[in-house]
Amino acid sequence: MAKRVLMSGNIAAAEGAILAGCHAFFGYPITPQNDLLEHMSRRLPPLGRIFVQTESELSAINMVLGASAAGFRAMTSTSGPGFSLQQEGISYMAGMELPAVIVDVMRAGPGLGSIGGAQGDYFQATKGGGHGDYRVLTLAPASAQEMMDLTMLAFELADKYRNPVVVLADGFLGQAMEPVAMREPVAELPGKPWAITGARGRPKNVLNSLELEPADLEPRMQALVQKFEMMRQNEVRYESLDLDDASMAIVAYGSASRSAMTAVHMARQEGLRVGLLRPISLFPFPYQALSDLAQRVDDFLVAELSFGQLVEDVRWAVGPNHRVELVNRLAGVRLSAEEILEAIRKMAR
Amino acid sequence: MHEEIAIAGTGGQGVLFAGRLLAEAALLEDREVVWMPSYGAEKRGGSVYCNIIISDERIGAMVVVRPHAAIAMNLAWTERFEPAIKPGGLLIVNKSLVPRQLKRDDIQVIYLPANDLAAELGDDSAANLIALGTLISCRPVVSPSSIYAAMDNMLAKNRKRLEFNKRALNKGLEMAPAKISPTTSSSARPHPRATSL
Amino acid sequence: MAQTKAAKSDTILFAAPQSLEDVPLHYCPGCGHGIVHRLIAEVVDKLGIADRTVCVASVGCSAINYLYFKFDGLESSHGRAPASASGIKRCRPDLIPFTYQGDGDLAAIGTAEIVHACARGENITVFFINNAIYGMTGGQMAPTTLVGMHSTSTPGGRNPALAGYPIKVCEMLSTLEGPAYIARVSIYNPAQVRRAKQAIELAFRTQLAGLGLALVEVLSPCPVGWGVEPVQAMDWLVEHMLPQYPLGEYKVTEAVQALKEVKGHA
Repeated sequence: MAKRVLMSGNIAAAEGAILAGCHAFFGYPITPQNDLLEHMSRRLPPLGRIFVQTESELSAINMVLGASAAGFRAMTSTSGPGFSLQQEGISYMAGMELPAVIVDVMRAGPGLGSIGGAQGDYFQATKGGGHGDYRVLTLAPASAQEMMDLTMLAFELADKYRNPVVVLADGFLGQAMEPVAMREPVAELPGKPWAITGARGRPKNVLNSLELEPADLEPRMQALVQKFEMMRQNEVRYESLDLDDASMAIVAYGSASRSAMTAVHMARQEGLRVGLLRPISLFPFPYQALSDLAQRVDDFLVAELSFGQLVEDVRWAVGPNHRVELVNRLAGVRLSAEEILEAIRKMAR
Repeated sequence: MHEEIAIAGTGGQGVLFAGRLLAEAALLEDREVVWMPSYGAEKRGGSVYCNIIISDERIGAMVVVRPHAAIAMNLAWTERFEPAIKPGGLLIVNKSLVPRQLKRDDIQVIYLPANDLAAELGDDSAANLIALGTLISCRPVVSPSSIYAAMDNMLAKNRKRLEFNKRALNKGLEMAPAKISPTTSSSARPHPRATSL
Repeated sequence: MAQTKAAKSDTILFAAPQSLEDVPLHYCPGCGHGIVHRLIAEVVDKLGIADRTVCVASVGCSAINYLYFKFDGLESSHGRAPASASGIKRCRPDLIPFTYQGDGDLAAIGTAEIVHACARGENITVFFINNAIYGMTGGQMAPTTLVGMHSTSTPGGRNPALAGYPIKVCEMLSTLEGPAYIARVSIYNPAQVRRAKQAIELAFRTQLAGLGLALVEVLSPCPVGWGVEPVQAMDWLVEHMLPQYPLGEYKVTEAVQALKEVKGHA
C-alpha cells in the first residue's frame, strides 16, 4: 500500500499537480486557497518549474494560457471572486482549444461574500461560466485523496480534450487534513504538435479562437460541440452508496456529500432505506444514472452548500413525477449530518 | 472506534498544533482521520478551533457538531462546548484561564490548570500539550507512544523543543483519570475546588 | 562593362521580407500597421530568429496579425498579451515572444498587465502602436486621445473634466525598475521609419541577450479614425501628436547601452 500522509486538500491538489507534471503555476492570493499557492511557491522552483504570483487572477489565467499554448501543463488556483475574473481566459482557452487546470476552492458569495466554504460557483463551473458557447469538464473532489487524484485526472483530461478542466472544491475540503496515499508521478506526457514551439522545420502554428467570417467560425464551433458531446459520453463519474434497496436518494457532491454520507448511516440505523448518489463529474453531470435511479427510487433529497443550484440538474434528470427537495446551508455555514437526517425524516413521513 | 474531538482557544495557544499531533498520531496507528480547522482572516489573538475525527471506518461529515471530547483553552470556548458535548463525553477546561464551574452533570469535566502546570515546567506555551496528555489519558483514542512519534516527525529539526514538549505531554498524562473525580458539577459539589487540579 | 551592368541589375535591392506572408493586409489605406509589420519582419529576418519568434496578437485592428507573419502566432484576450507572452517565455526561455498591442489594449484595458510585466522585468518584447484612437470599433476615444481631439465618443472633443487626460505610456513605465529598454518612435517619414527599425531591432536584441522587458511605442497614423486623408495624416501626427508624445529613448539600462554599442548594430 502506498504511504499515507496527512495533508490538507489544498496541499494534496498541489502535490497532485506536481505528480501530473504541471510545469507552471500562476496565481493570486485569495482565501481559502492561499496555502495551495504558497506551497507551489516553495515546491516548483527547486524542481526547475515555474511559479509566478501575478497581479490579478486575470493575469494568472492568461499566463496559464501562454504556458499551455507553449505546450506545457499549467494551472492556477483561486476562489469565487478570482474565478469570476478568470472566466474570460477560460472562455478563450475553450475557444482556442487549450488545456488548462483551474482549481476553484469555493467560498460563499455573491460579491465578496465570506471566506467560509460553500458551493455557489456550481452554475458558473458547470454551465459555461464565461461568454459564448462552451463547457469545461468539472470534477468535484470530496476528500483530500480526491483533491490529489482528481487534480491528476484533470491534467489528463485537459490534454485529452484540449479543453480547460475545473477542479471544483470548497473551503472545507481545502482546509481539512486527511490521510492521502501518495501516487506515482506521471511518467510520460502526451505530445502536442499543435503547440507554439517555434516554426522550425514545420509550417507555423497559430492558436486562436477568432474567425471574422461566421461561415468560417460555425464549423469550428460545431467541432467544439462534438467534443463536448464526447465528454458527455465518456467522462461521467459518480459514486453510489447504499442505493440497492433505497426508496430515497440523497444527491450531494464535495464536502456536502460527506455530511450526507453520515446522514445516510444515521438514517439506516433508524430503518430508513436511504442511499447516496455522489456526482464526481459535475460536467458531464450523471443525468442518465439519476434517471435510471428514478425508475426505482421515489424521493430525492439534494444537499448542497448553495441556494438551489445542484437541485436544478437533479430535477431535470428525474423528471416531474418525483419529489425532489432541497436541504442546504449558505454563507459558509456548514451543513451537518444531523440537519440532513432531519430533512430525510421529514421527507420519509 | 469512532471518536470526535474538538480543541479550541485563542490564537497562540497551540490549539491547531495539539490537534494536528493527535491527527498525526491517529494516522500512525493507521486509522482514518480528519483534522478540520476553523479559518478566518489572519488575525493575531483571534479565536481558533479545530476538530479531529478518528475512526476505523471511512469518515463522512468532516465538521463535528457534538464532540465526544473537547479541550477548551479559554472561557468563550468553555461556554460553547458545555452544551455541545455528547452525554457521557469529556470536557477539559483550562482552569488557569477559566474561573468557573460547569453545570452539566452528564459529562466528565476536568478542571486542568494547564497554563500553571506549563509555567511550572518553565514555559506556559506548552499548556496545549498538557491538555492533550490529559485528554488521551482520559480517552485513549491514541497511545502516548504514537504522540511521541508524531512529535518526532513534526519537530525533527528542533530537538530542544521536542524534549520539552514530551515532558509537557507526560505532565498531562500524569493527570490520569484515576487521580481526578470523573464527574464534577458545581451545583452538586460542596467544595468544587477540591476536585480540580 | 555592359556585362557588369547586367549583373548589377540582377542583384535584388528590395524584396518582401522572408518572415512576411505574401497576402494582402486588411488594414485601411494609410494605416501605419503595415509599415510596422514589415519592420518587425525585416528585423526578425536580419536576426535569423524566425523559427523561435512568436507573435502574441492583441484585440483591436491588429487582432489577426499572426496571419501576416510566417512564424508562430497566438491570440490573446483584450489587454492580456503581456501575461500570455510571459507565460510562454517563462516556460520556453529560448522562444522570442513579442506582443503587438494598440493603445486601447495596452493603455486602457491592459494597463495592469503591462505595468506588472514591466515591474517583473519579464524578458519579452512589446510593440505598442499609438494612434490616439480606437480604430476597429469605429473611432472612439482611446486612453491616448489628445485633449480636445474629436472621436465618436467625445463629440465635442476630449474634455479633461469629463474624460480625463491622455496617458504617456513611455514616461510612466520608465519610472519602473524592471524594463530594460523603452523608446518612442514614429513612422511619419522615411528617416523616422529607419529609426523605428533600429529601435525594433534593439528591442529584440534586448530579449535575445536576456536583459529584460523592451517596449517600443510607435506613433502611427489612423487616417480613417482621424477623418483626414492618408498623406495629411502624417502632417496631423507631426503637428498634434509629437508635442504630446515626444520621440526618444526613455529608458536604456547600461546593459542595453552596451548592446547598442556593439559593432554592426544598425
